[in-house]
Amino acid sequence: MLERITVSPAPHVSKAHSTRSIMLDVLIGLAPAMVMAVVYFRMRAVLLVAACVVACAATEWVCNAIRRKAQSIDDLSAVVTGVILAFSLPPAAPVWLAALGGVFAIAIGKMVYGGLGGNTFNPAMVGRAFLTVSFGMLMTTWTVPATIDPSMPTIAPTNTEALTQATPLAWSKEAIKGKADAEVVRKQLPAAITGQIGGCLGETSALALLIGGVYLLVRKTITYHIPAAVLLAAAILAAVGYLIKPGAYVPPIFHVASGALLFGAFFIATDPVTAPLTTKGMWIFGAGVGALVMLIRIAGELPEGVMYAVLLMNGLTPLIDRFCKLVPVGGKTNA
Amino acid sequence: MISKARATFPGGVHPQENKRFTEGRPIEPFAAGKQIAVILSQHIGAICKPTVAKRDKVQAGQVVGRAEAFVSAPVHSPVNGTVKDIALQSHPVLGRAMAVIIEPDPEAENIKRPCPERFGPDFDASAWSPEAIRDAIQEAGIVGMGGAGFPTRVKLEPNPQKPKEVVIINGCECEPFITCDYRVMIEWTHQVLAGVQLAARAAECSNIKIGIEDNKPEAIRAMNAAVKECREAKNITVVPVKTKYPQGGERQLIKAVWGKDVPVGGIPPMIGVVVLNVATCAAIAEAVVCGSALTHRVVTVGGSSIARPGNYYVPIGTTVADLIEHCGGLDDKIAKVVLGGPMMGFAIADLSTPITKTGGAVTLLTKEEITRAKYDRRQTPCIRCGRCLQVCPAGINPTKIAHAVKHGMLDVAERHHMNACIECGCCSYICPANIELTGYIKTGKILTARAKKLMPQ
Repeated sequence: MLERITVSPAPHVSKAHSTRSIMLDVLIGLAPAMVMAVVYFRMRAVLLVAACVVACAATEWVCNAIRRKAQSIDDLSAVVTGVILAFSLPPAAPVWLAALGGVFAIAIGKMVYGGLGGNTFNPAMVGRAFLTVSFGMLMTTWTVPATIDPSMPTIAPTNTEALTQATPLAWSKEAIKGKADAEVVRKQLPAAITGQIGGCLGETSALALLIGGVYLLVRKTITYHIPAAVLLAAAILAAVGYLIKPGAYVPPIFHVASGALLFGAFFIATDPVTAPLTTKGMWIFGAGVGALVMLIRIAGELPEGVMYAVLLMNGLTPLIDRFCKLVPVGGKTNA
Repeated sequence: MISKARATFPGGVHPQENKRFTEGRPIEPFAAGKQIAVILSQHIGAICKPTVAKRDKVQAGQVVGRAEAFVSAPVHSPVNGTVKDIALQSHPVLGRAMAVIIEPDPEAENIKRPCPERFGPDFDASAWSPEAIRDAIQEAGIVGMGGAGFPTRVKLEPNPQKPKEVVIINGCECEPFITCDYRVMIEWTHQVLAGVQLAARAAECSNIKIGIEDNKPEAIRAMNAAVKECREAKNITVVPVKTKYPQGGERQLIKAVWGKDVPVGGIPPMIGVVVLNVATCAAIAEAVVCGSALTHRVVTVGGSSIARPGNYYVPIGTTVADLIEHCGGLDDKIAKVVLGGPMMGFAIADLSTPITKTGGAVTLLTKEEITRAKYDRRQTPCIRCGRCLQVCPAGINPTKIAHAVKHGMLDVAERHHMNACIECGCCSYICPANIELTGYIKTGKILTARAKKLMPQ
């Protein structure tokens, strides 16, 4: 009888959740954007997501096998990385490119650090940065959704498969330089909310991303601090620009709704592994991401800056954690 | 009244309460078994020396161990019987400890019935002087019965530099499964209140707050009704507090009802507060009024798979095996025997471990209940989700400390305020990666104490 009794440290019960269930929640949160991606880009969306997910999971399996470590794909974190990477690719990207990004994201972005929990930088963004640097042309060709309103301003088709179009952010960039009519840019706002615009696979529909983000908040998968800080910082900076020179800058709501900002605020910057631990740290981190995004969008050469903003702030996370010292309840100890 | 106040503390978790198994079961007297082992170290402070020898006859209530130190409490025999041995016994916390082992006299009845009917609304604490109350408490060997076991007399001792501002009575009972304090509050309401008034008089402080979690409306109602009738009614307030674990932690309760933080490494008297558990108050009343020593306590034997769960008035020193047998025995489903509740209790391997003054429960957990938790589930890497920081009532960084301990960096752990940890278990409870954070932190504390030679190897 005695040998059946387990002895272990307290507590003897725990909340019924796991890393896997948290990752599953993130995937459910990504589902609305996935649905919109399929609606707009049809089979391309399915193909790219599948390529990234398979590449990520397979790479993790191979890396674990090489290191003779226990397999870890069942924690679903590689799947999440795959989906986020796919969502941040242009819909016209070739399947091999997506798969290559997945391999790089997991192998170099995660497994060289020892696997889940060890990486400094968001693996999906590492993969995307690699693709952007190596295959610039393929990574900036934006096909328009299959359901797009033909009266929207477009660029002449550059390939035979689909129309391509400057993304709303590219238009706003032109507006800053005085080469585009800010009025045209403003007209794109309703399209940005539903997703009837050019852009990366998963980031076009602001509404779908918001629904997913709210789901994560309600499920307490993420806390509100990082998304709130990212969006507030970005909106404030955009508002400053807009108030100074309304002719050249687009309104803050446009910046928030377009590009990868919502996607980044809810799904990329909130990656727990690469974000700070403390509440104060989360505010600093999020505000940094939001501010950098706006700096790149307004003052930089690139139309969009979520990826670089997140990667930069990921690099600062250990410093932020070090800076945000906790004072225990009851004051500092004399030890 | 109940809905208005939601006094609480930052952090904490909401484990399944599981009090339904025993909350409806009245306190039942429990006859002594074949053997009683009175452990000589049931409190914080100097360990008692035995005052009896092998083969001595002892009477119920007789002192069998005592220490001369100020921070200590004597231990008594709960039964009439013969001292069989003075030997090492399994102890839930210390591993092994010396105990006086008594064989109850088979002729004697050796069953003690509680006497709450001796206390009524007209109870007058001013019939005893503060010194007389304190001495009676010390003689009866009363220690904090909520778990820590700090000698009550020491807590109540007035300090001219820091007079007591408030006496807080802890009726939270935030641990899942445990209902012994709840039953004491609703069945022995006047006895508890008598103890409360005596304790306040001994502490020379008339401001009394009784904190009860709002998942016990019955206890809040009973207490409120009794308070209204009693002599000190104007000085006593019942404060319903939010149901959240670890609301019954001393520091958390003080924060909720008094709004102050106890300094790290300090104790409540440093900020002019005394916290007493309701069972301790009942024991104080009995000690002062009836002159009886603390030889019995209410123990909840709880669990979803035990045949006869309940609340028993048990002789201190009764073995866990006797209790379990009385309640229907172990069945195949039970995988863990815990002294205390599932959040902070100690899993024991030896069922001959005796009940001590601080052990309010024996909780029997099924394989299913612990499988949903940690047992044979794989520990995965920390994903730095920060949930442990959010729930930590001490406001520290459990994952940082635990990983520092894991890698032998005790200095780092200390810099991150390891000693502010109250070992409530919230971080381990919430951890999605299944990491035994509390276990690592406890280990770190022990290793640090050993390194500083504060503790034997």
